[in-house]
Amino acid sequence: MSGVLEVKNLSKSFDGIVVARDIELTLHAGRVVGLIGPNGAGKTSLFNLISGVVKPDAGTVRLNGATLDGQKFHQRVRQGLSRTWQHVRLFPSLPVIDNLLIGTTAYPGERLTQVLFGAARLKQHDDAARTKAHALLGKIGLPHVADALVADLPYGQQKLIGVARALMGDAKCLLLDEPMAGVEGQAYAAMQRVVREVAESGVAVCVVEHNIAFVRDLCDEGVFMFSGAIMARGSVAELTRDPQLTELYFGH
Amino acid sequence: MDYLYGIIIIVGLYVILATSFNLIIGYGGLVSIAHPVFFALGAYTSAILSRDVHVPVLLAMLAGFLVALIASIALALPSLRVSGDYLMIASIGFQLGVLELIKNVRFTGGPGGFTNIPAFLIRDFGRESYVLLVLAVMAAVILLIWWIARSDYGRAMSAMRDDELAFASVGRDAMWMKIAIFALGSGLAGLAGGLYAHYFRFITPEQFEILQSSAILTMVVVGGMRTTWGPVVGALLLEALPQAISFLQLPPSILGPIQGLLFTGLVLVFMFFRPQGLVPARDIWRSPRKEAP
Repeated sequence: MSGVLEVKNLSKSFDGIVVARDIELTLHAGRVVGLIGPNGAGKTSLFNLISGVVKPDAGTVRLNGATLDGQKFHQRVRQGLSRTWQHVRLFPSLPVIDNLLIGTTAYPGERLTQVLFGAARLKQHDDAARTKAHALLGKIGLPHVADALVADLPYGQQKLIGVARALMGDAKCLLLDEPMAGVEGQAYAAMQRVVREVAESGVAVCVVEHNIAFVRDLCDEGVFMFSGAIMARGSVAELTRDPQLTELYFGH
Repeated sequence: MDYLYGIIIIVGLYVILATSFNLIIGYGGLVSIAHPVFFALGAYTSAILSRDVHVPVLLAMLAGFLVALIASIALALPSLRVSGDYLMIASIGFQLGVLELIKNVRFTGGPGGFTNIPAFLIRDFGRESYVLLVLAVMAAVILLIWWIARSDYGRAMSAMRDDELAFASVGRDAMWMKIAIFALGSGLAGLAGGLYAHYFRFITPEQFEILQSSAILTMVVVGGMRTTWGPVVGALLLEALPQAISFLQLPPSILGPIQGLLFTGLVLVFMFFRPQGLVPARDIWRSPRKEAP
């Protein structure tokens, strides 16, 4: 069975320090894969390599069978490879709604010619984008924050908006970098629900997360990374029971 | 009256230069030193085409705009592929290099300058018509940048300045946006150059030296970066002040340094006491579009 995202032989080292060693990873539509491992294992680096933020030394990345190699980060995003950030990275000078509106797959407003001569098309696009943005805000349980400023919102809500922003395009594959770090209470429950719903809508999801309870509840498969390599795969329950992996995770 | 018209035209052209530079440095977040040389490229292109190739003045001015625009893309394309900071370094080289070239080739008149540039409008409609032309172009440029800043493009520029990596992560292409901003801003400087050349009818390389770059920057900073009226206020103030001083009838040996001191002093005063400039920018970008109920 071929996956939505297929990573083959992906390798990268910085000055001899290996951050990715021959990584093989397949993400399937509708399934959530949890990427676990201690700090410095290369989980975020792997996201950077897949999304094109960092160029790999070797290996290929395919999305729905088409290669992404050589494409820049923003081009990969437009193909449907979306990601979030560990530290949210919303745009502080934009209200929440505009943080979402900027994230559509095509954004005619980024071309000067459209801005100067394509008013009708811009309006049409804007109307559709606003409908989608409000629907997403409803989905993450924050329908009332559209006009709020990012800095005025609690961190957990910012993280939810970060996920909503990543869903403004037509994501086929979603990479979530520690969606739960710093998230508590209502936002925690909302994040669980949102990630599950995204997967159920047919998106292939991969989550880097230290919150093992979250990973266990949500992920169909766990992948354990250590020192830039994948050490084990299986159900999250199996992985967390493995004494060898537990030792690697916690060290001595 | 001619003296007054001259001042109005100079102020109008500096409003265009400051407003277009505000697009580059304020909205685009791009540091360029080369604004005077794009001004020069527009002036020389228009002057040479109209005098020596007998192109109609209006077309020659348009060509000046296009030459500055294309040259700016040629400069930005390789620089911005590396990084935003690299543009600043490349622009210094471009400013110095192109001006050196103008001084050393024959068809520009060399260091002595380019004379007998064909007049435009003045002979048929009087000097007032040219003043009106410059003011009309000035108004159009202010309107254009205002329109861009509040449009969907303005939203994208805000996001790009906030966080370029996050900007890429929502599928936006920061590099091409920067190139477009730089090209439009520099092209408008070229347009101002054409307007300058056909009124004063004499241009020399000295008028476009790198020091002009700091004058334009001062106008934008003192007036207020990333605002519609900031560069206008800045250009008015910084062009009017030296004129006012010249009424004091000081000897030229003192006048020059005093003007220099004034520019530097103003920048220092503003940096300490009002870094946001006379017209402060809003921190938050908001769409003028009304939400559907």
